[in-house]
Amino acid sequence: MAASKCNVTRLTEALSRQLLDSVDSVLFDCDGVIWRGDQAIPGASEVINSLKKNGKRVFFVTNNSTKTRQMYADKLGKLGFDASADEVFGTAYCSAVYLKNVCKLDGKVYLIGSNAMRQELEDVGIRPVGVGPDPISGGQKDWANVPLDNEVRAVLVGFDEHFSYMKLNRALQYLCNPDCQFVGTNTDTRLPLEGGKAVPGTGCLLKAVETAAQRQAQVVGKPSSFMFECVASQFGLDPERCLMVGDRLDTDIMLGSNCGLKTLLTLTGVSTVAEAEANQKSECPQRQKMVPDYYIESIADILPALQA
Amino acid sequence: MAGGGCVTLRGAQIRDLLDSKHDVLFDCDGVIWNGETAVTGAPEVVSLLKQRGKRVFFVTNNCTRPRENYVQKFSRLGFADVAEEEIFSSAYCSAAYLRDVARLQGKVYVIGCGGVMRELRDAGVPVAEEEDAEPGASIYTCPLDPDVKAVLVGYDENFTFMKLAKACCYLRSPECLFLATDPDPWHPLTGGRVTPGSGSLTAALETASSRKATVIGKPSRFMFECISSQFGLDPARSLMIGDRLETDVLFGSNCGLTTVLTLTGVSTLQEALAYRDSQEPQQKHCAPDYVMESVADFLQALEE
Repeated sequence: MAASKCNVTRLTEALSRQLLDSVDSVLFDCDGVIWRGDQAIPGASEVINSLKKNGKRVFFVTNNSTKTRQMYADKLGKLGFDASADEVFGTAYCSAVYLKNVCKLDGKVYLIGSNAMRQELEDVGIRPVGVGPDPISGGQKDWANVPLDNEVRAVLVGFDEHFSYMKLNRALQYLCNPDCQFVGTNTDTRLPLEGGKAVPGTGCLLKAVETAAQRQAQVVGKPSSFMFECVASQFGLDPERCLMVGDRLDTDIMLGSNCGLKTLLTLTGVSTVAEAEANQKSECPQRQKMVPDYYIESIADILPALQA
Repeated sequence: MAGGGCVTLRGAQIRDLLDSKHDVLFDCDGVIWNGETAVTGAPEVVSLLKQRGKRVFFVTNNCTRPRENYVQKFSRLGFADVAEEEIFSSAYCSAAYLRDVARLQGKVYVIGCGGVMRELRDAGVPVAEEEDAEPGASIYTCPLDPDVKAVLVGYDENFTFMKLAKACCYLRSPECLFLATDPDPWHPLTGGRVTPGSGSLTAALETASSRKATVIGKPSRFMFECISSQFGLDPARSLMIGDRLETDVLFGSNCGLTTVLTLTGVSTLQEALAYRDSQEPQQKHCAPDYVMESVADFLQALEE
């Protein structure tokens, strides 16, 4: 059984300086860490820009599949963050890379997802089919006989506001072939929106497809280590010199643990210190992976250490 | 009751089994019919059972038709005199549950098809009206009906993200009931094809709401309790005949009934034996007491 980490430690200014000196790269989750919906967390942009001035590399790692890297870069820019598209790793982009490099997909993909996902797939040379509304027509006999594109070699499920019974049905028909690959962007159950609301997340859609097909998807997003490997392979990162900053114990912190990164929990999002401490006290090895090295009220609290 | 031994029934054993039972419960799809074709001999078996003084009930997870339509289908496929009262579908039982067990005060928000809507109406359970898409309405701003006190999810070919989001909003209130018609992940269609079932839609809503649905259909006991409340069944004198191990046989096992698997539908003998030989207690409950090729195997015993 892995050795327990020390008690969940608050990141003081002194510890901040120590921590920052020990890493070259900082990976940030987005929702609940640097912004909430379309509002930046106060002080977040100063922290990111300051980190860069201090010679640290900064990356953005998000399970949200609704935007391309460029769309994220545009949002970051608008909110005052100094960032470029190649520093952003969202699941729309990472799923395309996964299908190309890991699945070695040779053929089309049936896509339940957004236009952003379609674009990222096309950019790596994969042709998606199925994006957009797909209402039901005909009767039950017709659904089992929907024309299938025989060049489809994989089904990819991401967030899709046009999700419907017909799309679920098409995915099922493709997945009846055991050679058809099955990939999901992430398992988050809620998708945070602009304006502070939330709707059911990709996890719900993926669960529907997995249940109908009685198959498990390969999941690209956090806590799967692929998201880190994607960044690391492009930028030559040393895990021991990386810090993962997130607001969710079950995705961000677990990713950090899985990949041997240092981890920092910020309290501006989903998880709480109490949950972290409960995980720390538990006997369960899985829960032990969801204990951060440090916690902080907000990433803005790192600023004093950076400006010292 | 522990799982069964998958004994193949022959000759005198069939007669002995029938003599020991008063009530026979049949699943429909894959047992007495497949699509629009009756299983050969099934209509005769049902008739003969009734002539021998047995009571016959039909217990189906299929929630797509109201009972009235089932009566017509029975007639169309050559089954004489099957009465509405003998038919228990998950749609009918879901409505009965809301009216008699939950005693719902308020409306139910339904993700479901015509069959469910009709049964709810017939039972006098108020259904929240689905507003047609208003301009500007989206998944982000859907209006909620304050009278909704329950959500019922079942097979729905018109399922959309909007319905999922709306149902999830209603389920944020812990007092709002959460029901599912049946757990079937997929349904078989003719030609070996499949279509997504209620179970897949329920899974989406359970994930979204972080709540577990109360499932009405097999293998849950409720359908048996529904029949029993109307007809007074003794489990020890009741026989359950089905084609799907994880629903029909597990249902029979959960209710203390003797179970028979017929091989004219979804599950295979191999799968039945695997459950029988499993080390896990829950899996063993999916093993039937007896296995028959088809319900027609009852004919010889009945015609004597």
